[in-house]
Amino acid sequence: MQSARTAYPVTWRIMDALEAFAATVWPANWTRAVPYLMLAPAVLLVGLLVLGLIQIGDTSLRTLDTSTFLLSEEYTLANYQRAFTEPLFAAVAARSLLGALIVTAITLVFAFPYAYVMVRTSSPALRKFLLIALFLPFFIGQVVRAYGWLIILGNQGMVNEALGLVGVEPMRLLYNYPAVLFGLVQYMLPFAVLMVAPALTAIPEELEAAAGSLGADWLRTFFHVVLPLARPGLTGAGLVVVTLSLTDFAMPAILGGGSQDFIANAIYDQFFRTSDQGLGATLALMLVAVGSLLVGLIFTLFGAGTLAMGRARE
Amino acid sequence: MNAPLGKTLTLWLLIGIALIVLSAPTIVVLGASFTSGNIITFPPDGLSLKWYAKLAGARALWEAFLRSVYVATVCTIISIPAGTVAGVALAKYGVRFEKTIQTYLLLPFTIPLIGSGIGLMLVFGNAGVLGSLWPVGLACCVINLPFMIWAVTASASALDPDLELAAANCGAPPLQTFFHVTLPAVMPGVISGSLLMFILALNEFLVSLLLVDARIVTLPVHIYNSIRSIITPDLAAISVVFIICAAGAVALLDRLVGLDVFLKSK
Repeated sequence: MQSARTAYPVTWRIMDALEAFAATVWPANWTRAVPYLMLAPAVLLVGLLVLGLIQIGDTSLRTLDTSTFLLSEEYTLANYQRAFTEPLFAAVAARSLLGALIVTAITLVFAFPYAYVMVRTSSPALRKFLLIALFLPFFIGQVVRAYGWLIILGNQGMVNEALGLVGVEPMRLLYNYPAVLFGLVQYMLPFAVLMVAPALTAIPEELEAAAGSLGADWLRTFFHVVLPLARPGLTGAGLVVVTLSLTDFAMPAILGGGSQDFIANAIYDQFFRTSDQGLGATLALMLVAVGSLLVGLIFTLFGAGTLAMGRARE
Repeated sequence: MNAPLGKTLTLWLLIGIALIVLSAPTIVVLGASFTSGNIITFPPDGLSLKWYAKLAGARALWEAFLRSVYVATVCTIISIPAGTVAGVALAKYGVRFEKTIQTYLLLPFTIPLIGSGIGLMLVFGNAGVLGSLWPVGLACCVINLPFMIWAVTASASALDPDLELAAANCGAPPLQTFFHVTLPAVMPGVISGSLLMFILALNEFLVSLLLVDARIVTLPVHIYNSIRSIITPDLAAISVVFIICAAGAVALLDRLVGLDVFLKSK
């Protein structure tokens, strides 16, 4: 005969105790509140960000006293006035905005065929290869990738060595605007492909075949069938790429070498170089407003897409 | 398939360029780490493992790497319970203000990283916890939390709610139902989500840069600080550690959920 102990294992006793505990602290008629309790930890964590935004807002309303290097006690809008009037910030904003638009255009041109072949290919091996080539850089991180570009584009780097072989003088390929944009395109490609691919999956292959059998060549099929149907995915990808490249820090900092600052770099400098926290906070808040508007636009236009966290709707 | 030649050529030309641009930094860093010269060149001056040997003695680099691992661990440990219960709640229960809560939980993605980083820096500064390492892990958890919730909801929606009712019908109290029915069903999501959280926190650069001081730099910040002064091959060797971690993560993710899920249309 089994002893009572093995018949009723310790783990069961622990579970019983836990259940009894849960039942006393959480009576059965409160069950409607359970989902909210389950959401609480995540809501609290994200609450840290909200607290942070409030702090930024508060700091942005105080000016720096240059004699004591302390922030003023009373609130003023002086920082906002400076942010809007100083030509330096207008130049940085224009550079970032123009950069973000160029990067988006180039990224989409390359992301679209990549996603197209990845979705349409009949070879699982090719699909897997393309997916791995996409995810590997995504997981390696920006700093290491930028470091790779420093080696390739540096004055004694690969590209200059290759140019030297055909007799071209070494060129300065780094620390200029194109280098930053190039690095950003590389950083954004995986995001763009992953946003475009589901939209392409949703287009039935038969539609293209139908266009073809009606006499359209591949270019006409592409411009009149595939592209219009993929537009939601392309717009979504475009907005994500614009937002992420507009607010990027690492690529302008590493590949731009301090001469090609984007908005994020200007904010960083205000906090850590000039120590004008008030002005830095003002710029940060303005960037948050622009960034959130753009992303809010994506979500209202297309829903959260693959990032939707809710229940599947029938 | 007999696609027209022009189409095949155009597609492959663009994909070829994309593939080169995507992989070049990785390959070059790998190659440069095996150089026998004293400066970074590619192709390397000759093959040697001397920079890996140097790495063994480079305490600053290893300490930075261990700090990154610590940050990633803290991030993952916080996000697993928080993300799992939130994901299950969102996927299975009709919550009031569901849309509002979803939008709120997506805030980490809508706020630009520099904004989140500066905000958390001010909050942690006021709380007097800047200068220790766990707030960096907490910050990484906050900024990437939607990934975790998303991974869990994806697998929780596939769970048949009747299973939980059946468990309850068989006399299982709520906690038992959760641990023996719900949790095993969402496990694939929990595992792939925590994998994402870990690798993203391991690589996290900007938020680390804002929250650490010179005594507690994480590895991405250490590499960033070093490439601004002088580029030595030992950095390439330590970067290979990141490449190995990334390759491991991709392989694991592929085994657990299959990379193809990212191609599915909703």
